[in-house]
Amino acid sequence: MVEEGLRNELSRQNIFLTSIQELYNWGRRNSLWPLNFGLACCAIEMIAASMARFDIARFGAEVFRPSPRQADLMIVAGTVTKKMAPMVVRLYNQMPEPKYVIAMGACAISGGPFKRGYNVLKGIDRYIPVDVYIPGCPPRPEALLHGLITLQRKIAGERLTGPERPRHLRELEPSEYPIPAYGPYDLDPPKNTELWHPKPFVRDA
Amino acid sequence: MRDPEKSSELEETAPPGLPSFQEIRRILEERVEGLRLEFIPNPAAPDQSSFCVPTEFALETARILRDDPRFALDFCSNVTGVDWLDQTVEETILHRETTDEGERTIKEIVRRRRPGFLEAVYHLYSMRARRGPLVIRQRTANRIDRVRVASLTPIWRSAEFQEREVYDLFGVRFEGHPDLRRILMWDEFKDYPMRKDYVEPDDYEYEPTPQGEAAAKARRHYPYGGAR
Amino acid sequence: MEEHPYLFLAVLAGTALVFCLTPLLIARAWAAVFNAAKPGEVKQQVYECGVEAKGDSWVRFHVGYYRYAIVFLVLDVEALFLLPFAVAFGGLSWGASVVILLFLLLAVEGLVWAWKRGALEWA
Repeated sequence: MVEEGLRNELSRQNIFLTSIQELYNWGRRNSLWPLNFGLACCAIEMIAASMARFDIARFGAEVFRPSPRQADLMIVAGTVTKKMAPMVVRLYNQMPEPKYVIAMGACAISGGPFKRGYNVLKGIDRYIPVDVYIPGCPPRPEALLHGLITLQRKIAGERLTGPERPRHLRELEPSEYPIPAYGPYDLDPPKNTELWHPKPFVRDA
Repeated sequence: MRDPEKSSELEETAPPGLPSFQEIRRILEERVEGLRLEFIPNPAAPDQSSFCVPTEFALETARILRDDPRFALDFCSNVTGVDWLDQTVEETILHRETTDEGERTIKEIVRRRRPGFLEAVYHLYSMRARRGPLVIRQRTANRIDRVRVASLTPIWRSAEFQEREVYDLFGVRFEGHPDLRRILMWDEFKDYPMRKDYVEPDDYEYEPTPQGEAAAKARRHYPYGGAR
Repeated sequence: MEEHPYLFLAVLAGTALVFCLTPLLIARAWAAVFNAAKPGEVKQQVYECGVEAKGDSWVRFHVGYYRYAIVFLVLDVEALFLLPFAVAFGGLSWGASVVILLFLLLAVEGLVWAWKRGALEWA
């Protein structure tokens, strides 16, 4: 293992050193292919981000795939209704590893302005693991790009081996999550308790 | 509160471009045998008084409203539902009394219990004659088991999805609807979410900034019973 | 030693094979060392639009579809002939114009005939 300072010194002399891990992460983070689907108004901002003015292609994520089999990033852009939630989870399950999820907008994070509605899921993270949350209603395309860069940083920091390696490299971690069923009053189960651990609030009264 | 004097006054007004409510009542009751329309005045700002049509005459009345050239209401722009819970209604009754000092009017306020019911409200326009809206309503007998009204989809095709929506969210059953299924909620859903006594599922586990009712619901999920 | 005149073909074929197989082998090796495959029931479903898959991916099409497809194919090929006709239109002799118009007329007549027989009706 060459240390950081020496490598910087060498790169100044036009000698580039890398490791498999870095090469792997470099390749993956610069070619994130998002799944082509939108749920509500945030999707319009996502479309704007892919057009010429904001140009998501600068970050290698312009290849919106129409099939989950070819995508490795799911941008949950918009309100997830309880009727739609099983479809979203099923699409996530059908994506090949490694896969990442960006929850775009207040609705995908927590239900947003429709939080107290009877048919809105209070955050897609109740069913699938979310990597980056982008707040906003809707977030501007710059915010989406920032979220994408944040995800790229996260990927750059992933380890290939060792106990800290990400979920998709661990053999026993699932690649599919249970799809909720339509119940008589709510989705069944209303959340994936193995996945979703909200911070318990301890407050005065 | 309903003022009987105001009510008859309002009945003399007319929906935009149409005959007065009195005239509409006269025409309809003449043409449909046995029909008794109930006038529901709306003295508030929207100024949209309406008729409550008995369910058994609704289809026939609707056909006349569509086909009679005096109305020509060919477009049903909106169907919606209202949930009326049991409530106490105050009614003012006017008595005329003759005393030694002459005749005088006594106002008496009567409180009576009105059992709850569901309502389907139709907003009708005329595209041909460019007028409307005329608002008509149908009421169910109660909120529990006698929740049937007549479907007006055979008259106005545009009512189909909206009647399905009213069925889905309020539980009003439309007799004669070609395809009465849930439209927004999933088919397995049992409740009617827009009813006033609807109890939503308790998913308030994570409320970072709860306020009002949500705070009370979220408190049930706090450790130590909500307070330290 | 004299080179075989067709040696370059063998070299090209070999290169093409190596070019295809190497990434596949690398991917295989990568999966074996780092990234275990995780197939699953939902992941392997035939349908991929979020709705639950029903039935098999091998389904029979209605025979009407083939009539439809053949009519499309005929007119598609006809369009292919129209392109050179349009390019050379200015310099065409009378005879050639009449011939191509006759051809067009035949194709259109076929379409009308198929239309009348209900070949364009779906299901």
